Amino acid sequence: MKMPVSLNVVLLVVGSSLFYTYVGQLVPQKQLLPPAEVAIAADLTTDQMVKVGFEVVQQKGLCLTCHTIGKAGSLRFPDLAGIGDRAKTRKPGMDDIHYLAESLYHPDAYIVPGFNGGMPTINKPPIGLTDKEILTVIAWLQSLGGTPSVTMATKLPDQTGS
Amino acid sequence: MNPRLLIAAAVLVVLGLGAAVQTYLALENQAYHPPVRSTQVETNVPREQALQDIREAQVTKDKAKKYEPPAYRTVPVIGSRVAIWVVAQLHLMFAAFVLAVPMFAMIIEIIGYFNGDPRYNKLAYEFAKLLSTSFSFTASFGGFLTFLLIILYPAFTNYMMEIFSWTFLPYVLLFFAEAGFLYSYYYGWGKFHPLVHIFLGLGLNVIGTLIMFVADSWASFMMTPGGVSDAGALIDPWAAFDNFTWMPINIHRFIGNIAFGGSIAAAYAAWKFLGAKTDEERAHYDWMGYMGNFVAVGAFLPLPFAGYYLAREIYGYNQALGIMMMGGAFSWLFIIQAVLIGNLFLAANYYLWLGMGRVQGVQYYQRYVKYLLAAIGICFAVWATPRSILASVSEIKAMGGTLHPALGVLGVMSAKNTAVNILILSTYISFLFYRRTGKRPTVSWAGIGNVVQFLIFFGTTAFVIALGVYGYFVDAATRIGLSIPQVTSVLICMVAMTIVDAFLLRGAEETGETHWGKLPNISQYVLIFIAVTFTWLMGLMGYVRSGLRQHWHVYGVMRDQSLDAFTPTLGFATQVISVIVIIFFTFIAFVFWLSSLHDKPDWGDGRYNPHHGDDHGAGH
Repeated sequence: MKMPVSLNVVLLVVGSSLFYTYVGQLVPQKQLLPPAEVAIAADLTTDQMVKVGFEVVQQKGLCLTCHTIGKAGSLRFPDLAGIGDRAKTRKPGMDDIHYLAESLYHPDAYIVPGFNGGMPTINKPPIGLTDKEILTVIAWLQSLGGTPSVTMATKLPDQTGS
Repeated sequence: MNPRLLIAAAVLVVLGLGAAVQTYLALENQAYHPPVRSTQVETNVPREQALQDIREAQVTKDKAKKYEPPAYRTVPVIGSRVAIWVVAQLHLMFAAFVLAVPMFAMIIEIIGYFNGDPRYNKLAYEFAKLLSTSFSFTASFGGFLTFLLIILYPAFTNYMMEIFSWTFLPYVLLFFAEAGFLYSYYYGWGKFHPLVHIFLGLGLNVIGTLIMFVADSWASFMMTPGGVSDAGALIDPWAAFDNFTWMPINIHRFIGNIAFGGSIAAAYAAWKFLGAKTDEERAHYDWMGYMGNFVAVGAFLPLPFAGYYLAREIYGYNQALGIMMMGGAFSWLFIIQAVLIGNLFLAANYYLWLGMGRVQGVQYYQRYVKYLLAAIGICFAVWATPRSILASVSEIKAMGGTLHPALGVLGVMSAKNTAVNILILSTYISFLFYRRTGKRPTVSWAGIGNVVQFLIFFGTTAFVIALGVYGYFVDAATRIGLSIPQVTSVLICMVAMTIVDAFLLRGAEETGETHWGKLPNISQYVLIFIAVTFTWLMGLMGYVRSGLRQHWHVYGVMRDQSLDAFTPTLGFATQVISVIVIIFFTFIAFVFWLSSLHDKPDWGDGRYNPHHGDDHGAGH
């Protein structure tokens, strides 16, 4: 029996759409939630700051969207492994805390050779980390190959009191 | 006594008692109860007086109520976001169609005017017949979208009005001008001097493009806002309008609209072909389908380059936004996109290969089809290779990560850029073969010309592959830059080969006649499949452009505080896109049906046709 053209066309349109919907079900399914606002206590120890900092890096900071930890080869963004040690000598006359703070508050102030600039300013929207969150991120970065020395009382030039 | 009677009596007694209790409770509920607001039980207050007190208290409360504008309202069941999503996408699809069709209708009309072939004029008119209803649907969906935005997202809509209110009046005026040009272009067909009519078409296209440019500024501002302070206050209206991605989106949409419009027009021709009763009709609609598909594929080939430009500007605006798109949550969306585009390339090539059957003496070029198919298949597979593989824990351990030891190499941009460029080149070669089928060059330098074309093609292919391989050995900054020479070389190759071919085939000998309409029906279903795939692709890319903002109405400026602030799964997004596509094709089927009414005979004896009995016929 010959099927009417209109029925064939309907089947083709619906069938093709269903096929593409099926393809859409085969890829990983991940629902992205807005980052939760977490209050950071002012009396965290440096060890606690490292732990909190890692959470910020993974979630609200979106740092690991671009940066890797412990990867070699042809990378698109600087790998963070060993940054705690490298930060001490990256810029002459600047200690590791201030260098890391500068790379977060003013990412284009120093660009690692071989890479492009353009990292978003971390205390501005859309990421918008607070000063306290940035201190915890610095603690975590120092822990990658170095010894964390930053505290919640550390004063940085660009802090706005958030 | 009969035990059954006893049981029945007991049941009756129980039911009676229940009824009595219910009656008592109902009466009790009707008795006066002091208002909840009262902390003291008031006694001896007449019922009417008490009710009056309650009403007056409510009036006092209502009058004291402060106005608090709602930030959001919700749509039951599907939610506000899905409602806006569906209506906005349908508006965009019809708008794209309405903007695209006049472009190629006018170009075909111009060709017909200069070559004097009336078939072109008829074809251009056939395309234009689809316009008027589509224009009405575009406006209707646009109005629907505006109302939905005001109702569901009042605070956001208010903010957008703060930034763009100065563009609204020009937009409305442009819309009036668009309506004037469109209807005079359509209804004035054959009523003016052809050049005047072509001028109307030109006006229609210019105004339509300007309308799109204005609307694009609103959409692009939401993704890459400019001209506002950190807190969102307007500083520079023009910088808000001419924001980072405004021009890339203008270009991308301009080209994409033509590809989409061509595919829908080809689907219309395919539908008419399948229902054609005569060879003449089949020949006409075969030609129309071919032209529509030619427009679609012709515009589709440079579309990835416009996509690169747009993506580059997104990265330039905010690296995190770019990474989120290509390497983060949306990266798998591009695997779905690869499946769609791979299907488009396969279908477009298959249609061209089937089309060779129209021409006598096709065998010479058909023997190359298998190589083209292999090249397209391989490129398709490379493009659809994901960077990281879905695997179990043990498989990940065995692989040493989510990167497959062999396939992971193909999942990076160096391989994918190379694959898409070769796909484009292969499709171009298919078209070139089709164009040359049934023709033999007669120019004295034909042999050299063929060798030159081969060298251009071979040299470009080798160059593109070499750059792709080189990309694995250089740093990121250099690698990203390699896509530019890859793209440029492919464009130059296509232009150069076309120029050589044009001169090569001047005065070429016809070795076989072209029989329009002598094509298997499957070719027409391929055209419809291409149209569905284009529409679906448009829905998918519309989703990524909009979804990329994640929990922001205006990225980095105005946060989405609604229940829908999360980004849904890709699986859910594809379901919504399919619903949109099916709704769109339901509406477009109505447009096709309305357009085909022109060709239907009058009902009854034709006495209800207003032109019945006119000496000059029934008009259009």
